[in-house]
Amino acid sequence: MRKYHLVRRADSKIGRTIIFYAVGILVSLLIGAVILMALGINPFDYYGKMFTIGLVGNRYGYKSIEGFLKIFVPLLITSLALGLSFKMRFWNIGGEGEFLIGAITASVIAFNSSGIPNFVTVLLMCLAAMISSGIIGIAIAALKVKFNTNETLMTLMINYIMLYVIRYIGETKADWNFFLREDSERPKFGTFPDSAVMTGIPLGQFKLLWSVIIAIVLTVIVYIYLKYTKQGYEISVVGDSSATAKYAGMSVGKIVLRTMFISSAMIGLAAALTVSASGTISDTVTNNVGWTGIIVAWLSKLSVPAIFVTSILISILQYGCQAAATQYPAIDSNYADLLQGLILFSVLVADFAANFKIVKKEDAKNA
Amino acid sequence: MEYAIELKGITKSFGPVAANKNINLSLAKGEILALLGENGSGKTTLMNMLSGIYMPDSGSIFIDGKKVSINSPEDSGKLGIGMVHQHFKLVERFTALENIRIGMRDEGRFMHGADVRKKIEDTAEKFGFDIDLDKVVSNMAVSEKQTLEILKVLCYGAKIIILDEPTAVLTVQEIDRLFDVLRKMREEGHSIIIITHKLNEVMAISDRVAVLRHGEYIDTVVTKETNEKALTELMVGRKIELNIDRPVMEKTHPLLEIRDLTVKNDEGVIAVDHINFYIRGGEMLGVAGIAGSGQKELCEAIAGLRKIEDGQMIHEGESIVGMSPKKILEHGISMSFIPEDRLGMGLAPSLSITDNMILKNYNESKGIFVDRKTASEEAQKVIDRLEVVTPSTETPVRRLSGGNVQKVLLGREIKSGPNVLITAYPVRGLDINSSYTIYNILNEQKEKGVGILFVGEDLDVMLALCDKIMVICHGKLQGVVNSNHTTKEELGLMMTGTINIVNKDGKTDGIAKDSAFTDEEGNA
Ligand SMILES: Nc1ncnc2c1ncn2[C@@H]1O[C@H](COP(=O)(O)OP(=O)(O)OP(=O)(O)O)[C@@H](O)[C@H]1O
Ligand SMILES: [Mg+2]
Repeated sequence: MRKYHLVRRADSKIGRTIIFYAVGILVSLLIGAVILMALGINPFDYYGKMFTIGLVGNRYGYKSIEGFLKIFVPLLITSLALGLSFKMRFWNIGGEGEFLIGAITASVIAFNSSGIPNFVTVLLMCLAAMISSGIIGIAIAALKVKFNTNETLMTLMINYIMLYVIRYIGETKADWNFFLREDSERPKFGTFPDSAVMTGIPLGQFKLLWSVIIAIVLTVIVYIYLKYTKQGYEISVVGDSSATAKYAGMSVGKIVLRTMFISSAMIGLAAALTVSASGTISDTVTNNVGWTGIIVAWLSKLSVPAIFVTSILISILQYGCQAAATQYPAIDSNYADLLQGLILFSVLVADFAANFKIVKKEDAKNA
Repeated sequence: MEYAIELKGITKSFGPVAANKNINLSLAKGEILALLGENGSGKTTLMNMLSGIYMPDSGSIFIDGKKVSINSPEDSGKLGIGMVHQHFKLVERFTALENIRIGMRDEGRFMHGADVRKKIEDTAEKFGFDIDLDKVVSNMAVSEKQTLEILKVLCYGAKIIILDEPTAVLTVQEIDRLFDVLRKMREEGHSIIIITHKLNEVMAISDRVAVLRHGEYIDTVVTKETNEKALTELMVGRKIELNIDRPVMEKTHPLLEIRDLTVKNDEGVIAVDHINFYIRGGEMLGVAGIAGSGQKELCEAIAGLRKIEDGQMIHEGESIVGMSPKKILEHGISMSFIPEDRLGMGLAPSLSITDNMILKNYNESKGIFVDRKTASEEAQKVIDRLEVVTPSTETPVRRLSGGNVQKVLLGREIKSGPNVLITAYPVRGLDINSSYTIYNILNEQKEKGVGILFVGEDLDVMLALCDKIMVICHGKLQGVVNSNHTTKEELGLMMTGTINIVNKDGKTDGIAKDSAFTDEEGNA
């Protein structure tokens, strides 16, 4: 017989949550430190570099910020988009697939854009990506609304379909395939013409890309949308009880379709901004935002400000891990991934521990 | 006296809300104790601490004289406490037997062992339960689910049984049967706590009555030495008059006319069978019938939530058949149905009271933004008006006690200023004081010229409140009678289909003399 069991805590205190998070992160860092020491690296050094994302004592510090932002922008937008559909209890786990669709359509325009003004190209890329991803989102939502299919399975399958589509494009040398470099024997994705590469506002050496500004503006819009608009209100009602929504005269089907369009289109936008900022596409272009975004959205309890902060923290973690790893010959990016996984895992455990507690069984009888 | 349970100084707060303050309560062995208190007085919270769902902030619990601490429903079960909750906790897809079986420990690994069945059957027989063990829960009526819940806790060997408002959703006959079972349980030496808002039930079943008021323990009295009036005063804390008015209004033209309405239920069986009736402005029409006689389908059809098979529905001369629920609402027909699970229809539990206020009219304000300012003012008005117990207008509805949830729902329906108000079971689970508040509100609406359809359960209340009562049985109209010229007995016979007076003295019930239909079809 089990001696211990789990009980959900009746109340949730913010102080306790912070302490649990801190302890969780500390434990994962300790485990990481043991591995580092085993490899002969000073963990303090390493963590110092990691948490300053390689900024301190670096002549090219602005590069670190740019690198961080490249991770941050797609993660933030994708998490917001997923949060939007989760709020409606629509389990969109197809962020990866929707991202890839957007990335591919944006690239189609990018590769064929020589001569078109930069502003126009980037705008077209964004629009095309949003529409194509949005349509897939609507299609899945329509299946759910019409035939009550399971959206979790549908969105999940989209991820795999799109992953293989982009691999196919990336590995097939053919006349039609303008995605690939012509001057390379082996199949290799080409780079966009300058007309399709994201520009920004130069601040000294540092360039603040437009995508960053778009992402921040979008955060504010989503916040207002969910909190103050009628459509946002409809999303909360449908998410809370679709029977009630129907009773109140809302057309639940329409709301589901609309929200899924917005959600997927935002992910498409994130993809367009990402490929445009990096000037190329690849089969790892998503950087797993479709998955990480789910974690961000849930850790933030679907609150927009919390999603903003969590996205920053997770991006710092990701970029910091990579940045630090590049400075030591003894470790590679796999260690960075490992450490990142450890920290995320312990944060999730901490979150769980902050909400549940373990109770000993005997207490009931002999207290 | 020997006590099965003793509570000493129990206190429990939810943030700023003190749900229980320093409560002392005792349950003698082999007695039935009624727990009485207004909505939100902390009854459910207190019982949830016995069943291990909450833990007290302070105070101690003694079971059979021994101090215990109850950390989980499992602990509670081991101490011999079984609770039947206000909202059922059953697996819908399982049969009765399976539902009982999954909670049984120490019975081997097999789900359907013969000895398990035997054990359950024996328990059922001992207490006089009538239950089909192989029926799937989703096909069960409420009363069957209730029986199953009780049988379940008995099978787990509970000696102390707590029932939270078990009678709120039962018919009179079912309540009688339940009380027989409870008496049998008492004979077998079980101790029982029952929560109910109906004083006649308290008088009928309990040995003693414990009263809570605003989270505080007031007193425990012996049932034989008290009466309904005294109990009400204990509960409310002041003298109150309990009279239902029936203002007589000048009746206007028929606002809503229903002709030959036929509606199917979710299973595709005919639930409403060629029903005729009409409601005039300034009139309250009661709908009486045994639970599940088509009341729900009728309400849903009028509100546009259910497709109709046949018939006509005319509102102020205009057909509302095939209109969207929204359109019907805009026409001034408002429907509030308090379902058996009370929360299921009409409220979004996680949203605040404010947000629930505007559920039906959030779209009326201009622009793309929700007008929360007006909404929270309206929420405050409803809270003041109906005396909703809540910390603020921004509290999620889920946090309110059962009765307060309902006040919010009804408050919203009335606020929209309808001219036809359909209300089903509006006082389900409400305490007496609130029930009378609701009756008064309905009367006020009537005086404003609103036509009201009141689907109810309690015949005494309907006789006192409604101008006319229409009776349905298996979805068929049995007749429409004037409350002044009928009796409970006659209504009872009509409800069971024993008498049908639709075509009495050459006139047909349910068809108005000055029907708006006449103009078009000439056959009123
Ligand atoms: N989980 C909770 N969180 C916050 N407040 C709560 C919670 N549960 C109950 N309350 C508050 O505690 C008070 C007592 O609620 P409780 O459900 O015990 O009342 P009750 O006596 O059972 O009422 P009713 O007859 O309406 O069911 C109410 O004011 C309610 O709003
Ligand atoms: Mg209660």
